[in-house]
Amino acid sequence: MVHPYFIENSFLSLISGLVALAVSYYAFRYRRVTGSSFLRLLSVGFMLLGVGLLVQGSVYLLAEFNVGRFADREALVYGATGVYLVLQSAAYLLIGTGYTIRVQRGETSEGTGTAAAFLAVQATPLLFGTLVLDAGELVILVLVSFVVFQGAMAYSELRNRLSLYVLLGFALIALSHLGELLGSLLASGDLYLVGGTANLAGFCLLLLFVIRSGRVGSA
Amino acid sequence: MAQPEKQRSTIRIYLDILSAADEEGNAKTTRLIQRANLPHDRLMKHLGELQKRELLVEVSDGGNRYYTVTPKGREFVNEVRRAQSFLSAFGVSI
Repeated sequence: MVHPYFIENSFLSLISGLVALAVSYYAFRYRRVTGSSFLRLLSVGFMLLGVGLLVQGSVYLLAEFNVGRFADREALVYGATGVYLVLQSAAYLLIGTGYTIRVQRGETSEGTGTAAAFLAVQATPLLFGTLVLDAGELVILVLVSFVVFQGAMAYSELRNRLSLYVLLGFALIALSHLGELLGSLLASGDLYLVGGTANLAGFCLLLLFVIRSGRVGSA
Repeated sequence: MAQPEKQRSTIRIYLDILSAADEEGNAKTTRLIQRANLPHDRLMKHLGELQKRELLVEVSDGGNRYYTVTPKGREFVNEVRRAQSFLSAFGVSI
């Protein structure tokens, strides 16, 4: 067993993954109506996030219960974790890039998105070994922080409840990655659990946002 | 320097036309021109497109022509409003 709360964290990842896929579905559904390029990026981004979290949760469960001697194949566990980190990096990169595209007036501002892309590309070849997995977490943390920053900008402009849900959701997800990174560096199971719980809480806020936004027009 | 007027997307124009027609019940062309803020030729082009998509139907009553939103059109309006609400949280408009 790698650390306590391993199973709890695995289930938190699986539930978070399902919530991310739900957000992806709604973004896809609304994209079909509006043809918005932002929603396309958001839909693909959340789909990657969902798949990444499901992969992570499944891999950790397989490793925990040593299904098919899974835990003995260290390279496989690292490889799967690497896939999850790459998927998450790509997801937050897409969401971050989408955030920079303002569909209003067709204006685009992609400077920060490009910087984030550079960071993700730099991290990808390093994904072998625990130190590198921590580096991957760090990259994701940078990307999510960028998304949080964009969310804060949107909230400061709009000041409505829906944009607050989005901001808090991504802020909690950023906090979760910080918790998981510190948990790994300090070998603390408690911090892992805090990270997993914050991740799920963040995705639940995003789900709440999807549900609340879906109520518009259905009265 | 004056800001250039924001151009409405086609989906936004459809929403404005359908919302106006729905609120009016049976809407005349002149009323839709006012409510959707469009010149006659552009309005007719969009009305043709909306009828082709079965979101709106033309009803003739004597010499008058009216436009009525179909159930499919009403569902379209609701879905676009939901999408608008979803997008607005990210600071993006349709």
